[in-house]
Amino acid sequence: MGKVISIHSFRGGTGKSNLTANLSATLAARGYRVGVFDTDVASPGIHVLFGINDVPASASLNAYFWGNCSIQDAAVDVMPALEGAGVPVSASGALYLVPASIETGEIARILHDGYDVGLLNDGILGLMDHYDLDFVFVDTHPGVNEETLLSIAISEVTIIILRPDQQDLQGTAVTIELARQLECKNLQLIVNKAHRNADHAVMKASVEQKLGAPVIEVIALSDDMVQFGSGGVYCMRFPDHDYSQAVGRVADCLVAAGTASQLSDRRVS
Amino acid sequence: MSGPEIASGVQALLGGVRSAASPFRTYLKDLHRRFANDSEGRVADYIPELAKAKPEWFGISVATVNGLTFEVGDAQTDFTIQSVSKPFVFGLALEDNGRDHTLSRVGVEPTGDAFNSIIKLDTKSGRPQNPMVNAGAISTAGLVKGAHLTERFNRLGGMLSRYAGRSLPVDMAVYTSERSTGHRNRALAHLMLNFGMIDPNVDETLDLYFQQCSVLINARDLAMMGATLANGGVNPLTKEQAIAPEYVQDVLSVMYSCGMYDYTGEWSYRVGLPAKSGVGGGVVAVVPRVMAIAVFSPLLDERGNSVRALKVCEAISKDLGLHLLAHSPNRRRLTELLPGIVD
Ligand SMILES: Nc1ncnc2c1ncn2[C@@H]1O[C@H](COP(=O)(O)OP(=O)(O)O)[C@@H](O)[C@H]1O
Ligand SMILES: [Mg+2]
Repeated sequence: MGKVISIHSFRGGTGKSNLTANLSATLAARGYRVGVFDTDVASPGIHVLFGINDVPASASLNAYFWGNCSIQDAAVDVMPALEGAGVPVSASGALYLVPASIETGEIARILHDGYDVGLLNDGILGLMDHYDLDFVFVDTHPGVNEETLLSIAISEVTIIILRPDQQDLQGTAVTIELARQLECKNLQLIVNKAHRNADHAVMKASVEQKLGAPVIEVIALSDDMVQFGSGGVYCMRFPDHDYSQAVGRVADCLVAAGTASQLSDRRVS
Repeated sequence: MSGPEIASGVQALLGGVRSAASPFRTYLKDLHRRFANDSEGRVADYIPELAKAKPEWFGISVATVNGLTFEVGDAQTDFTIQSVSKPFVFGLALEDNGRDHTLSRVGVEPTGDAFNSIIKLDTKSGRPQNPMVNAGAISTAGLVKGAHLTERFNRLGGMLSRYAGRSLPVDMAVYTSERSTGHRNRALAHLMLNFGMIDPNVDETLDLYFQQCSVLINARDLAMMGATLANGGVNPLTKEQAIAPEYVQDVLSVMYSCGMYDYTGEWSYRVGLPAKSGVGGGVVAVVPRVMAIAVFSPLLDERGNSVRALKVCEAISKDLGLHLLAHSPNRRRLTELLPGIVD
């Protein structure tokens, strides 16, 4: 059985989708079998980082929720998007994205009608089973809602991203409190967009002290990332960049979390 | 919203998420799929309103004593409570009159007869044999206190609503239909009046009884009602006391010995849980201190029990080791599917 990793932030624009895309690509390139769910049905976007412009309404998370397609039919193989970018990609790796529809009508419908969150659970476990995945990442809508909480409840590791910002800090405390009530097993914080002159060790200690949860990484605000503007999966193009290195360390932690030994034999060096 | 309202809203949200994430939900979905195409049995037609039920309707709901709720299929489709009301009203009669007086009006002995058998009264006392056959249920309804019909029904309906955790309506069409066609029940009531087993306000008590049978519920309500019994009379979500804890055992005992019409012996042998069935297609089975299972499917067998409900309950009882009389039930699967529910 693979691991579900859910990625959250209390506020938008924090860097969830970029981190999700980069982490999943890093692991797939290392030879793991990975799935990604875009559960941000209100403001979908991670597909753009994998070079997808159109999400057909007939094969999307939305279509799966309406019972119009199976979860594997909603999943797109995005492994080809990683190849040729510069970083060698292991032949045993796999990367499937279940995108959310970007059609106005579809977004309006799902916000208005809602859906049975139980189906999200079935879909995540179903895709994991179908493609024999080692990791499934769940990219989420900012804040707290039913699918956010569901992904926390079923995940092996929950990552909450925040910026060094008072609003982010306060909101993150709310998410942490709810995650605790759901007996969240492994909760990790990542501070993103830290000022380049800030002392990361001091920032880590202060956030940990304020929120009572471990910070696995402090990532600097990068002009290069701003300029790149979600134009692809950054770490596949610039593997030596600080951002990519940080993503690599988080990936190491995820591999180590739980049943690392069982997964490591899949790695092809 | 007030502080406690927000807190209970958060708990409801978390509860919904916990059950959506639970492997027990997947188990119930598989079970539902397994029996969905099983179309054995037929829809009750003794009153026209019941005949309108669709044979494909099929819902399963489970509520646990720690407040988790699960539902699959048509768990929110309304149906009339019918005979499933009987054990709950027996509980109210006990609260209103105590054990001695209640048991002087209705016994607790199984009959082995069909639910509508004309009458089988205790030869010496003239007492109907148990609160689950129609004669006993009418005599039990007669014990519900109140100055007039409205007050009596408000107390009875309020009691059922406390079990369910929401205000339950009455299906007026079914009520009127039962009322105008319930000749057999009228005859039973008058016969019992003759034996002194029911007070002289027979017509009022019959009206109360017909209303009681016409309360609209769905599988989710029924699971909550059962879970309230499993939880010592306290609704696991609203925390309201629906019945005094000392009478819970009385209610569960008659369900165990008389709850499934003339199939009760075999049911208790195979499933081993106190349960109650109704011709509306609902069945509730109670696992004391753990949970309740409610199944709704209007396809009935010749005894008046929902066929799919029998199959679902038997499967769950076997799969999860729920038979109450098993010496060392294997509850490993139950603990896996619902961690923290049994010690
Ligand atoms: N460390 C970083 N430095 C600079 N820009 C970043 C960094 N991380 C993310 N971004 C940028 O922030 C914006 C929002 O990121 P995104 O991943 O879409 O956030 P979210 O999914 O949380 O809304 C994007 O333009 C992205 O390129
Ligand atoms: Mg995003």
